[in-house]
Amino acid sequence: MADAKVHNPIRIDPQKCVRCDLCDWICPGDLIYHEEGNKEKLPVVAYPDECWYCGLCQSICPVDAINIVFPEQMVRNQTEVLTLLGKVVDETVTQ
Amino acid sequence: MKADWTTLDADLLVVGGGVAGTMAAIPALEAGLKVVICEKGKVLDHCGSIGCGVDHYLTVMDTGPEWDTPDFLIKHVPELTDHIVDMAVAGRVIREMPRIFRKIESFGVDFRDRKTGDYYRLRSFGLPGTYHINFDGTDFKKHIGERVRKGKATVLMRTMVVQLLVEDNRAYGAVAFNFRTGEWHVIRAKAVVLAAGDVNRISRNASGLAFDSWHFPYNTGDAQAMGYRVGAALANMESVETTLTPKGFSCQGLNALVSLGAYFVNRRGERFMFKYDKKGENARRAVIADAAINEYLLGNGPVYLDCRHLPQEILDRMEYTLQVDRYTLPAYYKQKGVNFRKELVEISVSELSIRRSGVYFRGSGLAVDENGETSVEGLFAAGDCATVSGGIAGAAVLGHIAGEGVVLRVRSTNGALPSITPEMVEAVRAQSDLHLNRGNGMTWKQFENETRQTVTDYVGVRRTEAGLRLALQTLHSLAGREPTLVADDLHGLMRVHEAKNIRMNAEIMATASLSRKETRTGSSHWRLDYPETDDRNWRKFVLVDRGGDGPRIRTLSTERPLSDAFDRSAA
Repeated sequence: MADAKVHNPIRIDPQKCVRCDLCDWICPGDLIYHEEGNKEKLPVVAYPDECWYCGLCQSICPVDAINIVFPEQMVRNQTEVLTLLGKVVDETVTQ
Repeated sequence: MKADWTTLDADLLVVGGGVAGTMAAIPALEAGLKVVICEKGKVLDHCGSIGCGVDHYLTVMDTGPEWDTPDFLIKHVPELTDHIVDMAVAGRVIREMPRIFRKIESFGVDFRDRKTGDYYRLRSFGLPGTYHINFDGTDFKKHIGERVRKGKATVLMRTMVVQLLVEDNRAYGAVAFNFRTGEWHVIRAKAVVLAAGDVNRISRNASGLAFDSWHFPYNTGDAQAMGYRVGAALANMESVETTLTPKGFSCQGLNALVSLGAYFVNRRGERFMFKYDKKGENARRAVIADAAINEYLLGNGPVYLDCRHLPQEILDRMEYTLQVDRYTLPAYYKQKGVNFRKELVEISVSELSIRRSGVYFRGSGLAVDENGETSVEGLFAAGDCATVSGGIAGAAVLGHIAGEGVVLRVRSTNGALPSITPEMVEAVRAQSDLHLNRGNGMTWKQFENETRQTVTDYVGVRRTEAGLRLALQTLHSLAGREPTLVADDLHGLMRVHEAKNIRMNAEIMATASLSRKETRTGSSHWRLDYPETDDRNWRKFVLVDRGGDGPRIRTLSTERPLSDAFDRSAA
């Protein structure tokens, strides 16, 4: 289950949420868990670091209770693209 | 068998309920066959790569002009694929395009522009005509899903297939488990269609988040890996695909951007695409990605998306279209504080996928014949896991072809299917249970991270023999650690199976890459030690299947269909 340090992109407003099962039902990654028909408990984002950021949960929510928040490394990304383009292996070292 | 097994008998088992899988189910249901679909998502109407929506559909419509005929497009396919393509299968897919397009329209999908009432057709990705219909496909999958539900297929949701059943090179079903309930299923079927999509989570991207991927991150090459394990042949696995995405968010949208006239510029403000292709931003995706990669390697990065020159009306359409493809993109730009209409947007090269290497009709995956059948009798494949791939349309058309192929196969099948033995299915479950019951070991996240790092460094964009061998060493050593993978829960068990499938695909990719001693389609297969395209020796397919001690390589001239390498009588 979710680690507290992991960014949770799926923010569910407990005031607005009507505890229906739609977000659990639609999530393509099996991230959101809600006990079917339980009107007391909020849905749980059980695996937040496995989110695709597709927003299906947000789009289907009947009361606009879900907001998608992107983490810092997506919004202000500092990665050097060259690090994604492979390492050239020195043949003399590996042989 | 223990009491919590369910055994189902069917004519057809479909693995994956995306576009290809559901389209394969439709002709089988129409022919009165009993169909079972296993799908990792929960709702057939919204599962698969485009469960959230799609904005383009590539098709020949046969409306009159020569360019809109199957023959015209077929003529251009060798050039579009740099001559590595199975023309027998690609030709059939293209010929069937108008028929399947009209069939999908009959399901209620509205491809017409809401304002004009006509089709809004655009040219992109090097195609020799305006074959892409730009439309609001938010409900595309819903209509197809409805059709299947009305046909009364048995749909097992949140269910992952982990083992195919094959005897004497003949498929007869699969073993699957529900990762919400822990229920295990054995589905015995006269034919199986594999339609579980492409391979993702296989290399690193800018954000470093494995599930932040351009393609659907829950497609993890399950079909390719399972097919391989039971002896099916794969082809074109050396080719990788990448795209350009806003730096930090790997999302769809390149088609909309280039077809509506966006530019890419480098840090000097130079519109560089024409240096690489006379079609500029209208070049094939592989060429666009390759150009950006080169600009970064030349020190001309960052690369930016530039839409500032576009008229308001086009920008409006672009904005609308982009959010059909990825609902959250406007929210991303908003949180980032970027207005793509007025500002440059920094672009990154995305993570890699194994799909169709940025060109249409050359899929990387399970080799199929003109009926969508693989080298294993009764085992079919369609969509992004098959060797002819062409986006949603490719998945829909080959899926439908495979479904029709299944009907023929089932009708010509005589004799009883092999019986299911309790020992065999219990052995599959026992292996899974080991991951659940382990106290400690390697997490699937760590296992995947190591796979991704080695693919990024040595199998991805710039390949050498030494690098590929180094990667294979790491991938073999990871294979040895598979029994130690830990699953915290049933959901984690699904991810463990996915992680193993990703590694398997990485090994197949590295092995195939090592054998193709040339460079083909730019950085789709860029061998630094063989930098030229060698048409004299390498107009060949690289086929991979399971040998005695790992992947076995064969080559076949592209003059011949891949099915010439099949030996269905081999048992």
